[in-house]
Amino acid sequence: MRPPPLLTLITDSRFLDHDTGSDHPEIPARLQTILATLQQGDCSPFLSLQGTRPAERQWLMAAHDEGWLFRFEEAVLSGKTFIDHTDNQICYDSYQVATLAAGAGLVAIDLLEQGQAEQVTARDGLMPHEPGTMAKDGQVSRAPWTAQERLAGAAFCLVRPPGHHAERTRPFGFCFFNNCVVAARYWQQHHGRKRIVVFDFDAHHGNGIQSAFEHEADSLYVSIHEHPSFSYPGTGYADEKGFGAGRGSILNLPLSPGAGDEQFLALLHGPVAEKIALWQPDAMIVAAGFDGHKADEMSGLLYSTGLYEKIGQSVRGWSNLHCGGRLLSILEGGYELTVLGESVEAYVQGLLAW
Amino acid sequence: MYISRYMIREVLTATPEMSLPEVRSLLNENHFRHLPVVDKHGQLVGMITDRDLRSAFPSSMLTESERLQAYERVEKATVADIMSTECVGLTPESTLDDALLLFNREGVGALPVLDDGRLVGIFSGGDLLAAYKELFGVGEKGSVLLGIEDDGQSNLMTRIVTLLEQHEIPFTRLLRIHDEEHGNRIYLRLNTYKIASVVNLLREAGIYPAL
Repeated sequence: MRPPPLLTLITDSRFLDHDTGSDHPEIPARLQTILATLQQGDCSPFLSLQGTRPAERQWLMAAHDEGWLFRFEEAVLSGKTFIDHTDNQICYDSYQVATLAAGAGLVAIDLLEQGQAEQVTARDGLMPHEPGTMAKDGQVSRAPWTAQERLAGAAFCLVRPPGHHAERTRPFGFCFFNNCVVAARYWQQHHGRKRIVVFDFDAHHGNGIQSAFEHEADSLYVSIHEHPSFSYPGTGYADEKGFGAGRGSILNLPLSPGAGDEQFLALLHGPVAEKIALWQPDAMIVAAGFDGHKADEMSGLLYSTGLYEKIGQSVRGWSNLHCGGRLLSILEGGYELTVLGESVEAYVQGLLAW
Repeated sequence: MYISRYMIREVLTATPEMSLPEVRSLLNENHFRHLPVVDKHGQLVGMITDRDLRSAFPSSMLTESERLQAYERVEKATVADIMSTECVGLTPESTLDDALLLFNREGVGALPVLDDGRLVGIFSGGDLLAAYKELFGVGEKGSVLLGIEDDGQSNLMTRIVTLLEQHEIPFTRLLRIHDEEHGNRIYLRLNTYKIASVVNLLREAGIYPAL
């Protein structure tokens, strides 16, 4: 019997080094709980781990002004504990960690385009050591993956700090480099996949992604988020469609506080599916945030864990149908540790279920 | 809040002697709907709108030859023939509120700003929306509006502001509204992601959010 496709996880123990202090929701434990859950769960035989690399300066500058790069690096080296706003907590390693987070997308895209995944095991759940595939009980599976299966399996970057609030010249909402925009530019400019869609299901509007895309015809940003009148960052109104050549490149679908699975799915299977089908992307990036969960205090949305599996299935289906299976997911938010692991696992199950 | 801060100073104008076709292309090229009409001293003598022009030009329902015939007459008409001469305006000392009340009352789309009869600026309904949007911080990145029940407890404003300042929570707008029908409210524009913890902080102090 043919095994289901592989999912490559891009992550690194150095992501834990970004220290946001004692009273901040964006903490290293988020990644630890996600990886522990995945390692112990039913999906683990079908997951493969890959390390990251620092994003090259050229690709950071495809999304950000060089002035911001200088300012960020100077702030961490001079020992500042936050930059521009106390929301944006930093430590000495934060610049380096942020480049590794942005680089994860580049690593993933190279793998997807090559159609192979380097297979590594993780002894402590985080750091790649020896070749093999990770399995629940530590046994190494020898199932041979074909190149097609590896490509079909897609990639998921488990990174921090998150990125979708970061703007060209400044940080926002504890995002410093816009991981999704850096990845999009790499896919467009280095691999020639001209038309990129970013679908964002984080509870908060990705203002940084919208800013980057709203004047261009070849990039599309679709976001379902809590209504900006009630939720950070106060952007992402439904009437915003893009400007000039970018008219039609933005689709904002706000949900009122208290909205749950039913309202989300109506949008997912309705306007989102329609827009993506009509727009015909060459590749798809998913900004995967899990803070719309009902247990997560960072939003007033009330999604269930099971919703994330349905999202995974949908994005998998769309990417197979419309863009040859080119699907990259990048972790954004999700802060309630008691449900974060299982939420990500549900999403992964959805990605694998195809 | 003075209009001189918000008005457009470089105003496109028409003269009373301009022909209608000439002024129509001026409006179309620049995507405006209103043009102040000034004399050679820069004094306002009237306003001409795209609506005035549309009534002056031949109907699209006419045949080609009917239209050409009517057009010959229109070509010879001037701005002075169709402009409105009874115009309401603002002065540089008018405020945004003056503009809003005037728009509301007069139903016009743009207001000339006059200094002793001389045209010094123009201010449209669109400019008013933009000014209030900026004033209230609507769509300001990184901010959220939080409404609080104002149930008349004493020192409520002081307590709210003290709590926010003690916990170093940035906020950029504070508004108190008396509304007998819907209940009094205080609105805060918070400049942080920490909305849930601000709500908890307020609740613990007996201050309750309201939508």
